[in-house]
Amino acid sequence: QDVTLRLSHWVPAGIAPASKGIEPWAKAVEDASGGSIAIQLFPAQQLGKAPDHYDMAKQGIVDMAWVNPGYTAGRFPIYALTEVPFMVDDSVQGAKAIHEWYLENGAEAEMSDVKVCFIHPHAPGALHSKEAITSPDQIKGKNIRPAHATMARFVSLLGGGPVQVPAPEVREALSRGTAEAVTFPWGAMYDFKLTGEVPQHLDMPFYMSAQVLVMNLASYDKLSDENKAVIDSHCTPEWSAKVAQGWHDDDMAARDKLIADGEQTLNEPSEADVAAWREASQPLIDEWKESVVAKGGDADAILDAYVKSLEANDAKY
Amino acid sequence: MTPDRNGAGGALKTVHIIERIAGVMLGLVTVLIVISAIGRYGFARPVPDAFDLSRLVLGVAIAWGLASLGFHGTHIKVDLLAHALPAAARRAINALAWAVLLGFTILLTWKIWERLVSAFYGGDATMDLRLPHWPFILGIWLGLVAALITTALRLWLITARGQDLGEYDGIDEQLEQDLRLK
Amino acid sequence: MSNELIATGGFVALFALMLVRVPIGIAMGLVGIGGFGAVVGMGPALNLLSQSPISTITDFNLTLIPFFVLMGVLATNSGMSSELFRAGRAWLGGFRGGLGLASVGACAGFAAICGSSVATAATMTKVAYPEMKSAGYPDDVSTGIIAAGGTLGILIPPSVVLAVYGFITEQDIGVLFVAGIVPGILAVLLYMLTVRVWYASKLPEGEVFHLGAAVRSLRGVWAVGLLFVAVILSIYFGIVTATEAAAAGAFLTALIGLARGRLNASSLLDSLVEALRTSVAIYVVLIGATLFGYFLAITQVPQELTQFLIDLGVGKYGTLLLIMAMFLIMGCFLDAMAMIILMVPIVFPVITELGFDPIWFGVIIVMTVELGLITPPVGMNVFVINSIAARVSLPTIFRGVLPFVAIDVVRLILLIAFPGIVLFLPSGMQ
Ligand code: NA
Ligand code: NA
Repeated sequence: QDVTLRLSHWVPAGIAPASKGIEPWAKAVEDASGGSIAIQLFPAQQLGKAPDHYDMAKQGIVDMAWVNPGYTAGRFPIYALTEVPFMVDDSVQGAKAIHEWYLENGAEAEMSDVKVCFIHPHAPGALHSKEAITSPDQIKGKNIRPAHATMARFVSLLGGGPVQVPAPEVREALSRGTAEAVTFPWGAMYDFKLTGEVPQHLDMPFYMSAQVLVMNLASYDKLSDENKAVIDSHCTPEWSAKVAQGWHDDDMAARDKLIADGEQTLNEPSEADVAAWREASQPLIDEWKESVVAKGGDADAILDAYVKSLEANDAKY
Repeated sequence: MTPDRNGAGGALKTVHIIERIAGVMLGLVTVLIVISAIGRYGFARPVPDAFDLSRLVLGVAIAWGLASLGFHGTHIKVDLLAHALPAAARRAINALAWAVLLGFTILLTWKIWERLVSAFYGGDATMDLRLPHWPFILGIWLGLVAALITTALRLWLITARGQDLGEYDGIDEQLEQDLRLK
Repeated sequence: MSNELIATGGFVALFALMLVRVPIGIAMGLVGIGGFGAVVGMGPALNLLSQSPISTITDFNLTLIPFFVLMGVLATNSGMSSELFRAGRAWLGGFRGGLGLASVGACAGFAAICGSSVATAATMTKVAYPEMKSAGYPDDVSTGIIAAGGTLGILIPPSVVLAVYGFITEQDIGVLFVAGIVPGILAVLLYMLTVRVWYASKLPEGEVFHLGAAVRSLRGVWAVGLLFVAVILSIYFGIVTATEAAAAGAFLTALIGLARGRLNASSLLDSLVEALRTSVAIYVVLIGATLFGYFLAITQVPQELTQFLIDLGVGKYGTLLLIMAMFLIMGCFLDAMAMIILMVPIVFPVITELGFDPIWFGVIIVMTVELGLITPPVGMNVFVINSIAARVSLPTIFRGVLPFVAIDVVRLILLIAFPGIVLFLPSGMQ
């Protein structure tokens, strides 16, 4: 065994993104290297806080880090397009589409000081609430815990109050009425035991949050050519789809379980509702464009490329 | 504690002002969270960015508080050995301890300067209002610079003036008076 | 060099630095950086300083610490501690050793609005020690009572140490606070019993009891009662989060103080400065412990230690006793907060693996580090009392506190045997 790579992430080791995404990928890399690469996993913020993970990889504190770019508002303006709702309806092909698009359109501008390995979204998440919500005007006056900075803006735009609490405290916030709804992946309903608090679920691809596995450049450069080839062959859009599959399956199983549960209600929005949601989210795209243009990017071309990539991979909502 | 006993009256005054500004910041954060709670529960209207603003402003206050601790010597430390030693040896230990503290503060100031530069160019911002992070990190960094100065000053007071670390307000004099009055 | 060797070297260096009076947080931070550097390389290790300290001081979950500290400081500066003692004296002063009982009661009352044990001990020394002294109490008894009573500061909510435990282990801080209430009351009763039974013969006769004066004394303590009830009930019934309750508690304490004319702009500002100083001292320990924790994590020694403890085969309670013994020994030398921050991340996985309740363990471990506050050679409560009442020597205070150490051990055994004493109250929360 030649080299040990340290990989840091911030979710508990047992839950789906870790056990059905990161760990199998790490195992695949080890196997493909014939035992020449060992990947040591550090789960649950053992080596740093979730929002610090990008810098931890960039600065060589760890060799690889699993990053949620949505935790650092303003840092990755191009990538923030993946947080805009109602764009993606399939997270597996979507992961591949985002990976292909981002390598061409964004990684060089805003993630050039690391190597992007794979994109790791959950299945499109839903809006879970105490009372049924099907149309955007029902957000007004409600306190909602958003998944990331873009969702926080969306809630504000619709006249709701975004309530910032860390994921493990969401249950408390809901049970105490601090928040009346939450945007979360389906699997989170069981991971965080939320079904008793928010039994109403808006059944549409409401939002997405896509983590990125990044690698320190010096750690990569130090590898032998054979090991570089192993890493390269595992940092592809195809691997992004493969890694995304496990989390997706777990989310979908949770959704099926909710459907089977008589206490839970999945509300399907009408076509008019869907159109209203899309319409309401338009300002998010405008704000996204502004922030990209402010950094000197060609927002229209980047957006166009995103839509094309999603369509080419059959992942456009 | 009087300025003459310290031999650094001007510095003492400056530290006093620094502490008061940091203390006021702590007070403001307290009020901000109370207002935010009232807004959220009472009127379903949270204060925008109350979450980010309160934690960032408190961070600045804590950093400036480091300047106070570096000067007054009131860090949490183990005094066991120091108390058992004669004055000269104790002074050597104090000087060593504060030199180590100064070294750590220098490292921290250097590394947080790098963070400041990175935040300035990186565009990190708050969640709601998208206020840039860098002015807060600048505030933190300036607090560290102040801590650098006050820690160095205390090190000088230890080595040149033979002063000890840690100041407590003893009640023995008051107590004796009370007893005499009874 | 193997990781085990690096980790061992790290602990040796840590204790060496602490012994020569390097601030505990700074010692942990430096060893953390150095050890991380030995494993990963110095460049990346130094880069930890760009990330981690800022994350710590801007962590929203920790903001409740300065608020609860501020609440205690404001309570002291608006004279609430003296009022508590006067009320305790008016009601309990009639018994033999009544001033001692009053001191325990006042410590408990003050603990209900102050999150720190050292602050509780310091405040009560200023209020109660002179009174006991002039009533003819031996120094060892009076300071021993205050040192022990002071430990209630981190058991009876609010508690800075329980808050940090909840932060580290991701447990609900509100639930932890509620879990501390019954063990806190039990501690008060056992301390009073110790004063009455163990020390009664050394103490003077009680004073004459006046019902009218006793009732009048309650006028002074309504503010403390109101604050405690407001803060704890709003956490218990989930009206606000623990952070908001802490901020509101500090805010209300200031308002009451101002309304009663006990605080003015100047003393309010002084209180803010004092609370900031205390909080910054805690934050420095948190910064250092976080860095030290990253060092231990990268060596993977905690995981190996967990495995080792479980493989020992001494059973569930055998392992628990081993862990508590380790805390007790370290408590002889280390600060309570530093110990929680340093050791809980290492032992917590073992505790959950063995199937112990994390809330119950939080209370048990806080009671264990409480003991460290009053055991020689390093007992922070004893030191702070000695620094205020410098005429009373350290050995005198340690001698006086001994019976309370014994009764604390009894209380620990009770709570391990009957976890329900801790858990029945929080189980009523949503
Ligand atoms: Na307390
Ligand atoms: Na001790």
